[in-house]
Amino acid sequence: MKRGWIVASVAFLALFCITIWESTSYPLLDELGPGPGFFPLWLAVIGALLSALLIFETARGPADPPEATLVPDRPALFRVLSIIVMLAVAAASLELLGWRITALIVTAALLPALGAHSPLVMSLFVLAASFGVFHVFYYWLKVPLPIGTLGI
Amino acid sequence: METFDHLLAGLAAALSFQNLAFALAGCIFGTLVGVLPGVGPAAGTAILIPLTFNLDPAGAIIMLSAIYYGAMYGGTITSVLLNVPGEAASVITCIEGYQMARKGRGGAALGIAAIGSFIGGTFAVLALVVVAAPLAALALKFGPPEFFALMLFGLCLVTSLAGRSLIAGVLMTVAGLLISLIGIDPTRGVPRFTLGLPELYDGLGFIPVVMGLFGIGEILSTAEKPYREIVRTNLRDVLPSKAEWKASMGAIWRGTGLGFFLGLIPGVGSIIPTFMSYILEKKVSKHPEKFGTGVIEGVAGPETANNSYANAAMVPLLTLGIPSSPTIAVLMGAFIINGLTPGPFLFTEKPILVWTIIASFFIGNVILLILNLPLVGLWAKILEVPYQYICVGTVLFCMIGAYSINSSVFDIWVMLGFGVVGYLLRKLDFPLAPAVLGLILGPQLEKSLRTSLEMSAGDFSIFFTRPITVLLLALSVIVILVSALNLAPSQLREASDD
Repeated sequence: MKRGWIVASVAFLALFCITIWESTSYPLLDELGPGPGFFPLWLAVIGALLSALLIFETARGPADPPEATLVPDRPALFRVLSIIVMLAVAAASLELLGWRITALIVTAALLPALGAHSPLVMSLFVLAASFGVFHVFYYWLKVPLPIGTLGI
Repeated sequence: METFDHLLAGLAAALSFQNLAFALAGCIFGTLVGVLPGVGPAAGTAILIPLTFNLDPAGAIIMLSAIYYGAMYGGTITSVLLNVPGEAASVITCIEGYQMARKGRGGAALGIAAIGSFIGGTFAVLALVVVAAPLAALALKFGPPEFFALMLFGLCLVTSLAGRSLIAGVLMTVAGLLISLIGIDPTRGVPRFTLGLPELYDGLGFIPVVMGLFGIGEILSTAEKPYREIVRTNLRDVLPSKAEWKASMGAIWRGTGLGFFLGLIPGVGSIIPTFMSYILEKKVSKHPEKFGTGVIEGVAGPETANNSYANAAMVPLLTLGIPSSPTIAVLMGAFIINGLTPGPFLFTEKPILVWTIIASFFIGNVILLILNLPLVGLWAKILEVPYQYICVGTVLFCMIGAYSINSSVFDIWVMLGFGVVGYLLRKLDFPLAPAVLGLILGPQLEKSLRTSLEMSAGDFSIFFTRPITVLLLALSVIVILVSALNLAPSQLREASDD
């Protein structure tokens, strides 16, 4: 936990420093009053100071117990990464393949990865999630889900 | 009298078949969101926004509001049967509700929660009717400095009560505020922090960010955990016994008052009223030593306070345009998507619409009671659906929600990015609620600050010469000092993230 807090605080500090640098490229004040850079600059300065304070406070705090870890066990890590990867695949292929094919691939890959067993239930779910959901949202609710280059 | 006329007109509109159907659908979806593990009310409401895209604004807000308070109740079911809160406000219900379920009184626990929620919610809406119009009229007298101070006060409250570290809370607020500034500067038209990407000219979408932080973040956290066993309990007797009624009535009334009062304060998250109600019930009980073993007052009080708060939290949103919690912030986002700006002007510009929404809260509370007393067994059955299917279904809904707002895949990437960040920050126990409130209030906060300084030709004394502004700024300082000096109850601080 302690190392995690320090890493997170350093990441925040870096982000706030970049924001300070970027904010100075906008006018801080103009003839009407505060310019576009005014608010973000001061916010980023406060954020950077707080990040530094948090690093200092955490570093001075008690050490983690030896068994403490933020990394989940292997099966849990596999489930978490499966979701992240499949969401990335979905985002990358949605406009190319359309909702129906993308949802079919994502659901068919994700269900067994998360531990679903029954082929029949999985098949029904995959069809409902791809074609069923598309029908409900596109035709009934008029939500424009994407149609891919294959016209599906 | 004018308020009463508007309320009657609103009630008539809310009772139309169409709006009743939206309220019913919202309550069903909301209860489902509350029941499903890994989907909180903020994410659930955000995910379901696409369902309302083709509705008229009143129908959309009625449905989303019903989803919100439906989810607030639905979380109780998992608290009692699984000892896992469906949403943060139900944490405290786990203590007594789960013990009651183990003793075979799970039905009574859920029954009293439904009845208490109905009473608390209905009285909170009645009180909302009384205070909303005068408060909105008062807020019309607010200028930019007052609004700046009010928003700052709300952010200070959320920050000071969020998480274990005040510094981390402020840090998250600042991060949320900065994220909200991405895009074209609203007063000078200069693009800021857009990295040259045209997709960022309108800023990062609030809904994809919230879906990422709360939806995907929660799904990833839940995917780590092992499956939990449901307690088999008696769900036939949902009506409490005579003795249980007697024990609960006082708790219900106290919960109603407490929840309503705390709901009026911008920035008080949904968990604070339930915690305070539980502490209060333990304090006034003749047998405090029995708390923790399945005491019905420990369910009735917090659950009533929860729903009373949920309805009362609409007061700051509708009258001042200030959200009290991330879920209310999502509702505020839904107002904006529908071309409505919550705040005092809504009462003068769209009185029928705003009173229709308020009247729908009454109806929603009745629907929730009808749904939850006889159908509690059905909701419990949903908990038996394997988590894999719930998880994949939620991921798909998140994708639809993020994509359909702008028909843009970029928003799915934003959701995924913030999902990973939310998951990591959740693991580290960083509070997320301040970031979300910062995100929604950022543009208004900046606009109020800059307009105030333009009014005073850059002189900051404008914030120290107006009585309301001085009062609100003084309260903000007090709130931060109380938190910095560790004077706030530690239980509240540790559990207050929405």
